[in-house]
Amino acid sequence: MQSTISSILSEEDGCMLSYILRRLSHTVLVIIAVSLIIFFSIRLTGDPVSIMFGAGEPSQQAIDELTAKLGLDKPVWEQYFIFMKDLLMLDFGTSYRSNSPVLDLLLERAWPTIALALGGMSVALTIAVPIGILSAVNKGKPVDIFGRIFSLLGISFPNFWLAFMLILIFAVKLKWLPVSGFDSFSSLILPSIALGLILSGILVRLIRTSMLDVLKMQYVTTARAKGIREWLVIVRHAFRNALLPTVTFVGLQFGGLLGGAVIVEQVFSWPGIGRLIVDSINQRDYPVVQGGIIILALLMIIVNLIVDLCYSLINPKIRTGRGDN
Amino acid sequence: MKKYNWLTMLLVCIMLLLVACSGGTSTENGNKNNGKSSGKNPATTRGNELVVRVAGDPQNWDPIDTYLVAWSTVGTSVFEGLVSRSLDLEIQPGLAESWDYVDDKTIVFKLRQGVTFHDGEPFNAEAVKFTFDRLLGEEGQKGPQYSNYTSINRVEVTGEYEVTMHLNSIDPVLLTKLSGYGAVIVPPKYIEEHGAAYFDMNPVGTGPFKMTDYQRDKQVVIERYEDYWNKDAIKLDKVTFKVIPETATALAELQTGNIDIMTRLEVSQAPSAEDTDFITLMDVATPTAYSIRFDTSKAPVDDVRVRQAINYAIDKETIVKEILGGYGNLISSFQSELSFGYNKDLQPYPYDPEKAKKLLAEAKIAEGTTLDFFIPGTDGTFKEIAQAVAFYLEEVGLKVSINSVENTTFQSELIPNGEAGHMYKNGWGGWTLDFDNTAYLMYHEGEFWNPSYKNDEVEQLLAKERATNDSAEREKIFKELTEVLYEDATEVNLYSEVEIYAVNKRVKNFQPPHDGRFRFENVTVE
Repeated sequence: MQSTISSILSEEDGCMLSYILRRLSHTVLVIIAVSLIIFFSIRLTGDPVSIMFGAGEPSQQAIDELTAKLGLDKPVWEQYFIFMKDLLMLDFGTSYRSNSPVLDLLLERAWPTIALALGGMSVALTIAVPIGILSAVNKGKPVDIFGRIFSLLGISFPNFWLAFMLILIFAVKLKWLPVSGFDSFSSLILPSIALGLILSGILVRLIRTSMLDVLKMQYVTTARAKGIREWLVIVRHAFRNALLPTVTFVGLQFGGLLGGAVIVEQVFSWPGIGRLIVDSINQRDYPVVQGGIIILALLMIIVNLIVDLCYSLINPKIRTGRGDN
Repeated sequence: MKKYNWLTMLLVCIMLLLVACSGGTSTENGNKNNGKSSGKNPATTRGNELVVRVAGDPQNWDPIDTYLVAWSTVGTSVFEGLVSRSLDLEIQPGLAESWDYVDDKTIVFKLRQGVTFHDGEPFNAEAVKFTFDRLLGEEGQKGPQYSNYTSINRVEVTGEYEVTMHLNSIDPVLLTKLSGYGAVIVPPKYIEEHGAAYFDMNPVGTGPFKMTDYQRDKQVVIERYEDYWNKDAIKLDKVTFKVIPETATALAELQTGNIDIMTRLEVSQAPSAEDTDFITLMDVATPTAYSIRFDTSKAPVDDVRVRQAINYAIDKETIVKEILGGYGNLISSFQSELSFGYNKDLQPYPYDPEKAKKLLAEAKIAEGTTLDFFIPGTDGTFKEIAQAVAFYLEEVGLKVSINSVENTTFQSELIPNGEAGHMYKNGWGGWTLDFDNTAYLMYHEGEFWNPSYKNDEVEQLLAKERATNDSAEREKIFKELTEVLYEDATEVNLYSEVEIYAVNKRVKNFQPPHDGRFRFENVTVE
């Protein structure tokens, strides 16, 4: 049995495994750094206790009791260690506002958040890949000009404006799609387009530039000389090699979308993590902010890891580190 | 050849897009015409259900844990207090049929019989006692509502349907406060069985509607409670509150018929809303007042002449007309004209730049003296007002430096610590609709919201006002108090808020609430 496993795990796979393990060990360091920054920075301004009492006239005793109940009476360092100890047990604490466990709050938002990030990314890629390739292949021709204008528009449109325009056209006037909310697949379409169109602007540029670089390479000329069909040359030989920077960008953007689609979430009443964190920052709901940011950091690390693994699939030279040979 | 194929495809795509767009325009016109001529109302298919837009979610439905209007918009239909405040702001019987003051500090409430909570539990004197024990006890003291009810010493059960409330001190605003959030009656058995955390998310009261579905930050559904004691007044089967934070999105939902009522329509949206045939606008005065508060410890606004000069220099009428589209009422003290204690004889400072210049000259204020003006960064309307204020003050020789800061820091740190410049935006909800609460928190020395103002005369009047239940006497004291504050020019009173509602015309008998607390008695839909 063991010999079978070891024969399956070739030397290269072993490298891969240790690479993943090494990367995961970095995660711990990143989480500690992130937790330190967020824990102390959010305590620099604002006071959750006074916010929780709102417009009332609380007695000093009531203020002290609430402060003690929330554990805010302890020295900040001690609070931090308690927080980290709980974190080890996967206990993110309880929200000040809702008295619900932070993990529940985050899990409630996880699916809408991921759905929107995937939706936005799919739209972006669907639009950007063909336009980017066409633009590069037809450099200087009308298609390219169209692609470049499209890209410029995508980069310069503010996404809230685009979101409102989409609502106005497709929901209010044409009545094809719901205005807002998270109820069915159809409610995912407009926010995905709003996110995706903006992203695709930058992506088109990126794909176009890297395609142009790759198309100058000798192996493309060789492929053409071999008589391989033009579309095969473009897709298999050129595009695949042009993918590397694109994958990096897509990975980073995807991570960003998970927590940073706040404006689009706001416009479409989307119950995502971004809105939750912003609301919690405004209320100085420390546990939710801390928990949310750490989860986002974790997701970002995982996405980055996946991106790096994708590199090696696209370009095996990276995995083996034998690029120069 | 291949290249040309790509090009053809792309051209086809562009043409399709153009066709789609032009199709859109024609449909757009078509819809508009249809809407105008036939008045087709897309919401009528919904049946006997009302959908209301709310901007936020209180996150927690326990009445002692909240002070948010977002709570009361829904909570008022789920819970009831001993007394309630009508849409016309009159105190009327709620779960108590009547009440008697035995003396200044003892009130006997006769309770309504045959009332049940939504889980079937009977409502009686024990439930009232439980509610107030909870509010005034350890649990309540950690919440924002407790401090409103500290005048209550205890509630005693003096019969199955009778309670006696013993007070620590005279509290002239108590009955109003008993109609407030914190004093709504909660079910003892339900809370004991399920625990407070469960109650937070699954509230049960005696109100006309029971909460049947709550999806955080998404929606709240309440359905008619069939055993409600006044069920004949309730005509709707169901009300859904949809959380839509963005006003423009809410308007789009209203125009497509997905919601029936939206609150807080912005002035700039009014024409667009009115353009839709089946939408009507309603406006309602609110207890919320806005002012520019001075930090009286900082020169030069420590000089009353300077504060008065600034009051004369700002044309509040034009600000309300131009920036708020007229949706605001001028006020002469820091309270809405709806509030008990509002002095109608006192006129707001008139716009008189000459007088302002004279006062500034008397106070020997050098031309170009700079004042720091702090405003919260998220408030777009107030930012415009601040710019207008800066313009007006420049006209009389004062420079204004506007500091736009993060809202939470502004409210929980800068204001209470006296770090919000010479003057800052002040907004106040005035939920008791009585000047008592506002005046005390704003002008009593050492209060959280009062970093620096101190005036012995004001202190005496505040103490006097709190020591009597006699309304006529209190009114007299408030008259005097507002005059003192006016002369002392503690702030520039700008306006009290008028809120705009956009409502689908299929909704009948709906009256927008002054206090944001929706009531659905006799409301019907077509």
